[in-house]
Amino acid sequence: MAGATIIGRDTRIRARVTGASDVEVQGHLEGELTVTGEVVIDATATVAADVRGRRIVVRGAVKGDLNAEESIRLEDGARVVGDIRAPRVAIAPGGLVRGYVETQASGAKPAAVKSAASAARHTTHTTPTHAAHASAPKAAPHAPASKPKLAHVATKPAASHRGLTLAGGKAAPKPVVPVLKKGTKAALTKRR
Amino acid sequence: MASTVIGANITIEGEVIADEDVVVQGTIRGKLTAKDGVVVEAGAVVEADVSGGPMTVAGQVTGNVTSTDRVELQSGARVIGNVKAARITIADGAHFKGNVDMDV
Repeated sequence: MAGATIIGRDTRIRARVTGASDVEVQGHLEGELTVTGEVVIDATATVAADVRGRRIVVRGAVKGDLNAEESIRLEDGARVVGDIRAPRVAIAPGGLVRGYVETQASGAKPAAVKSAASAARHTTHTTPTHAAHASAPKAAPHAPASKPKLAHVATKPAASHRGLTLAGGKAAPKPVVPVLKKGTKAALTKRR
Repeated sequence: MASTVIGANITIEGEVIADEDVVVQGTIRGKLTAKDGVVVEAGAVVEADVSGGPMTVAGQVTGNVTSTDRVELQSGARVIGNVKAARITIADGAHFKGNVDMDV
């Protein structure tokens, strides 16, 4: 296995690690890890560093941002405090994250396609909820007409609820993904 | 069996502390401390003070080398720095510039 780098479980590195090979971390790394290959952070590892790689697999603890050109996979036992950015991000059951997660490209072409796809998914998610609220068909040309309807429907049950429903409709969807929203909010407030 | 391997295309700028064996195929700048054996393979570049157990050097080391055991400079090794160890062997064809300190 020429070229593969392993940082053993009884090894502590306080340094900037750069290069072109795959890296497996089983020990402690503090500083920065930037490689063009695959990064595996094992269950025994503790990493306090920003990590960049083509693919990143995490089973251990990381404090720092993860950036991957292709994908990031957090497996069971992963604990990440930091932001995660990659075209594809997978968090398996048992993987813990505190931070901002973005499944978006860092400039690559295939990534752009994927982000577009995810954006499309987001819109499809929101549209049905709007439709459900309005209880109107999805037909686009009718959309402006159906909105007033929604307001009417909302006013009918209780006038005092009107403001709430409007705000909910605009700021989109309590029910959609409360967890995600919470996370984003937390990340934003953390940033400030 | 080496527990920590610094691969050929990897550069580490900083400090490496290992309670186990370390094999260096890439580049280390800074400091390398190991409790066990250190192998600097051919093609590796170590610009650091190195300390540890038994050491085998076939690559390039610039810095002081301290070992609790033996230091072996193999043919093709280039070492610039002082070497302190219980036993030292320098193979024919190894380049070495520095002081040698053995327990005499």
